[in-house]
Formats: sequence, C-alpha cells, structure tokens
Amino acid sequence: MPALFGVDRVRKSLMGKKVVVLLLIPALALIFIFLILPGLWVLKIGMTNETLTGAKARNPDFVGFENYAKVLSDRFFYNALRVTLLFVLGSAIVGQAGLGLSLALLTYRKRKLRSFVQSVVILAWIIPEVVVAYLWIAFLDKDYGTLNMLLSVLGLRKVNWFYEYPLPTIITFNIWRGTAYSMLLFSAALETIPPSYLETADVIGVSAWRKFKDIIFPNIKSYILTDLILITLWTFNVFTPYLLTGGGPSFRTELLSIYIYRTAFRYFKLGYGASIATIALLINFALAMFYLSLSRRKKA
Amino acid sequence: MKRLLVLVLVLAMAAFIFGEKVTIIANAIKGGKNTQVVDWFEKYIPEIEKELGIDIELIQTGIRDEDFKARIVLDIKGGGGADILWIDGFWVPEFVEAGYLRPIDDILAEIPAWKYYYDSMKAMGSYKGKTYLIPASTDVRMIYYNKELFKKAGIPIPWQPRSWEDIIKTARIIKEKLPGVIPIQLNAGTEMGEATTMQGFFMVLLGAGGNLYDWETGKWIIKSSALRDTLNFYKRIYVDEKLGDAALQVSAGAREKTFELFRQEKIAMYVEGTWFYTSVLNPNNPSWGFPDRDERIGWAAMPGRGKPGDPEFVSISGGTGFAVNINCKNPKLVAEVLKRLLYIEPQLSYFEMKPFVSPRSDLADSCWTVNKDKFIAETSRALVKYTTFRPAFPVYPEISFQAQLLTERVVTGQMSVDKAIEEFAKEVTRIVGKENVIEKP
Repeated sequence: MPALFGVDRVRKSLMGKKVVVLLLIPALALIFIFLILPGLWVLKIGMTNETLTGAKARNPDFVGFENYAKVLSDRFFYNALRVTLLFVLGSAIVGQAGLGLSLALLTYRKRKLRSFVQSVVILAWIIPEVVVAYLWIAFLDKDYGTLNMLLSVLGLRKVNWFYEYPLPTIITFNIWRGTAYSMLLFSAALETIPPSYLETADVIGVSAWRKFKDIIFPNIKSYILTDLILITLWTFNVFTPYLLTGGGPSFRTELLSIYIYRTAFRYFKLGYGASIATIALLINFALAMFYLSLSRRKKA
Repeated sequence: MKRLLVLVLVLAMAAFIFGEKVTIIANAIKGGKNTQVVDWFEKYIPEIEKELGIDIELIQTGIRDEDFKARIVLDIKGGGGADILWIDGFWVPEFVEAGYLRPIDDILAEIPAWKYYYDSMKAMGSYKGKTYLIPASTDVRMIYYNKELFKKAGIPIPWQPRSWEDIIKTARIIKEKLPGVIPIQLNAGTEMGEATTMQGFFMVLLGAGGNLYDWETGKWIIKSSALRDTLNFYKRIYVDEKLGDAALQVSAGAREKTFELFRQEKIAMYVEGTWFYTSVLNPNNPSWGFPDRDERIGWAAMPGRGKPGDPEFVSISGGTGFAVNINCKNPKLVAEVLKRLLYIEPQLSYFEMKPFVSPRSDLADSCWTVNKDKFIAETSRALVKYTTFRPAFPVYPEISFQAQLLTERVVTGQMSVDKAIEEFAKEVTRIVGKENVIEKP
C-alpha cells in the first residue's frame, strides 16, 4: 500500500505521533457523531419494542433479542432478502458490472465512439432520482406509457410492466441508471494497460478472446474487484425503486431497504425496523469482508 | 440612509421571528386532494390574522393519508410540528397514548359552539375521559355508480341493489355490454391503506353481520363465517369472475389511479364515502371533478349479504377534526383561532364548499346550507341509521393492516380464502395475545 508508506515517511521526517493524532481528531469526531453514534442508537432501538405511536412510543420496553428472533421467522423479511439478492445479482453484478465492462471494451481504443457512448450513459447517471423515476413511469405506464404506445402501434399487446414483470423492471431500471459508474471505472482501468502489450498481440495476430484473457483481464482484475465491492454495497442499500413500484405489487419488489422503511415509518414499528436495519448492516459487513478477503488473497 | 435601511431590516426580521404565529397542517393542497379545504382557509385566515394581529400559516400537503400521518408523528416526536393538526379521528387513541396531543378541554371552554356538537361526535374525539379533537365533519359510505354507463349497459336507474348477488349480477351485465369498463371498484390490498379497510373490507363484512371486534366480549374476531363470506365475495369479484381489476389494487398510487379511471368513466361502480362525492368528484375539483356530477353520478345504499337476519343496508363512518399539538407554545392563541374558525358563518361556508355530514346540531338545523345540499340531506337520512364506527383502539391500525393483507392475498390469488384466514388469525393472535381473540360461528 503505497499511501501508507507515504504517511510513514512524513511522520518520521516532519511530525511526531501527537501531531498526527491531533490532525485526525476532527475527522474521527465527525465519523463518531454521524456514523458510530447513530449506529449504536439503531442497535439500542433494535432491542426495544419502541413504536412511533401508542403507549410504546412513550415507554418502550427493553426486549433484548426478541425482535431478532421475530425477524428470523418473518416471511416479509425473507421475501425482502430474496428480492434484494436477486436485485443485486441482476442489476449490479451481471447488469452494471457486465454491461459496464462490455461497453468499456467495445469503445476501447475508439476515442470518438467512446466519448459519445460515455456522454449518453453518464446522462442516465446524473439526472436526479425523482426525475428519473418519473421518466420511467412515463415510459412504462400500462395505459399511457411510451413503450406500450409503441407496442400497440406495432400491433402488439400492451403489457402492464409493473404488474407482470415487477422485478425485471426495476432490475432493468437500475442497470440503466447505474452502468455509467462501472463503465467509467473500466475505461480508466483499460487506459493503464501499456499500449505496447496489445500492439504486440495485434502483430502476432492473437484472437480477441486471448487478448482479453491474457492481457486485459489480468491487468484490470483489481479494478473489477473494487467495482464489484462498491456497486454491490450501493445496490444493496438502494431505495429508488420505491419511487417506481412502492415495493409492490404485493411486495414483489420490496427490497430490504423498502421493507425497513415500511416497518418503521409506515407501520411505525421503530424497534422492529431498527433490528431489521441491524441485520442488513451485518449482511453489508459480511459482503465487504468477503470482497476484501478476495483482494487480500490475490495480493498474497 | 443606509443605516436606517439596516435598522428597518433588523426590525422586520425581529418582528418575523418574535411575531406571534399559529400554524395549521391539513392533508390538503390547492388544485388536488381536498382543494376545497385550502380555498376555505384562504377565505377566512386573513380576517382572523387581522383581528388577532398574528400570522397564521397553513401547511399544505395533499399526500397519501399514511404518509401524512407519518409526517405529523415525526414532526411531533422531533419536538415541533404545527399547532393545529387536522387529523383523522381514529388516530386519536394511539396519538394520545404516545403523548402527542394536548387535552383541549380548557380550549373548548372558550369555544361557544362546542355545546352544539352531537355526543357521538364528541365521543370520537375523546379518549380516557379527556377531549382531544373537535370534529370537523363526519361521513357515511355507500356505492356510487355512473348513470351514463348504466344507461349504455341497459341497466334501469335509479339502481338499488338488495343483496351482494344483485351487485354481482349488475357487474356481469356491465362486463358483458361495456368491454374496457371495470364493473366495480371495491378497495382491496395494503397499497390503499385504511381506504381498503373502511371503504372495502368493512362495508362487505358488516353486510354479513360480521365485525373485526366483538363489542360484547371486548375481543378481536379472528374467524367467522361472515369473514369467510366476505373474502369469498372479494374472490368472486376479483378472481373468479374478474369483475374488478386486481392488478390495479396493488399497483403504486392505486387510490389516485382509481379516481382517475372513475373520472374517465372506465369504472362503473365504486364503494366509497361521502368524501368521494363532495371532494373528489366535486365540480370544483380540477383533477377529478365532474362538471355535471349531480346528473351523471348516482348512489345506492350498500346492501347486506342477503341471507335472512343480515342487515338490510350497511354504512360505516369516520371523521376528521382539529387536534392540538402537545408542543403547542400558545394554547390561548390557538383557542382564539379555533373559536373563530368554528363560528357559524365560516362553518356554513365550509359545508357549502365541501358538503359533508355535519357533526353539530346548529349547522344541521340551519335550513339554508347543510340541508340545501341534496346529496348530504338524502344520504344522511338514508344511511345514518345504519352506520357504525370502527373499533379505534390504539392497536387498531395493526389489525387493520392485517385485514388489508387478507384482502390482498385473496384478490391477487396468492392464497386461498382458508389459508389467508389462517394467516390472519395467527397474526392477530400474535399482536393482541391469545386472551384477546375470539372465534365466531
């Protein structure tokens, strides 16, 4: 880790340990106030039966791990977990990373094409979420949506996308929404490969697949891992599909984040919602650990 | 000159900060949901502001009732919120238990009109011996129908079904004669929230002589033949005969979508409350109003199941009203504002803009406004004698959600009627405890 060596050198030459600690205090204080404290608070609430209305709003009882036991036998929890895993697998891992890599490769060493594709893809990424949600509803609406208008012009049946294919719909939406990040990251990664490698390969007349397998992939492996870590965690916690489907129909697009929201802020079970949030946090933690151990193993 | 300007600015800011102010929040927005409420406030607020020398701010929302409730709760829990809360009466018990509402018996002593409120209405606003809500209006529930569609389908009007079977028969005719028109909208599912429980589920369940709560034993009813028949009625409409649109019930923003479809004359029958006619369909509502509402839209009393011993007709009532936030800093001022809003003149004007069943006798007796509205006069006369109230205990919202889930599972075909009732019974028992549930034949 080169960055650490840098700090090491600075510490030796310019400042003592005390100064470093002193300089770190503001950052640590911020992390403590805005990250650790709320985290601990959620842990605490998760062990009570606190609600937002009713007697338990005023005098919640400490219930220990009762909420957690309940979560583990809660069919809505398993439904949300299943939906979330499919959503992450479909939209982040296969969709965004896969499509992002394909686009980066397709436009690799084609400057004009790349800047065009990048502009289009980034456009989907920078529009505010609420606007995007509205655009997609306008596109997919059963009666007035652009897509169904086109289908009926072509003489095809109108499809109620949000009802008949709810999960594929939000997965497609999220791929559309988030591919830009992966594409940009992979494009930048490809730039780090010394051109001579591929030029040499071209001279020898190596097949495209061999070029990818033996030159490109080994060179960008660590970037792929970074990308997967980040988008998996982001996608796991994403809430925007709520604006499209509200978690429905009949909970078929209820991601874990939406389930937590519904529990805590629509049905006012704050304690129970906090315990689900804690479990989601643990899952995030486990995912991050898994990826980190992969990257360590690779380095070792 | 510059200095003077600064001084004026500072003084103006000080006046802004220290000037006395009363805030009111209502689930209403100009041009949309409850637009008439905003119009009414805009008509009377300036007068009251001038008279009392204060600022009155109306916070407009116009969102789903459940979201409105969440907003108010979070506002109050965070130590803030509007002074005057225009809320649904059945929220009172759970809000009081949480310590969110200020008892208003002292404020009521300042309000001369309070003596005219009916006792049943006063009861809706009180909990454990104290009063928390001044009812603004109450309502009844019925079945609306589009007369034009009925004429096109050859159904004679006025139409008055005598049993569930009559409703099914009419719906079948519409399905056959008018393709593309949804014969009936009977609210189902969790997306519609409380509108499912009140407008749909209860209206059917009561017709079979059932209820969610047994008032004699004080227990929640988890199984009964009335409940089974209710769900079978839902199943016939949404699954067996497809006389309603199940996909619509569970789609995002379902309730607004059904309003829109009714406005476009793509729904023939709709079970709803007074509000639907006097606010949603009101010619003065730019979103969903019918200019020729009175000629085009008819109503009928919701019939019972039709077996011997069943109620002939059913209705269930709710109501909204003014409550006072526990965080309210100036109850004296709030009393002055409420007192003026409840004067007879503004009240008559309110019922003119948004006709409703009045909660107080002086308004009901006044021959020139409330009774002038033919719809209110007729529906009150026909339905008030059948109407009942929901069991608004603090735990009610949780049971209500289970009832919504019950209808959702049946209309979407996720579960059979028996399986859905099993799940309902299990969940309700878990919520209130074994000792508080009962099974009925």
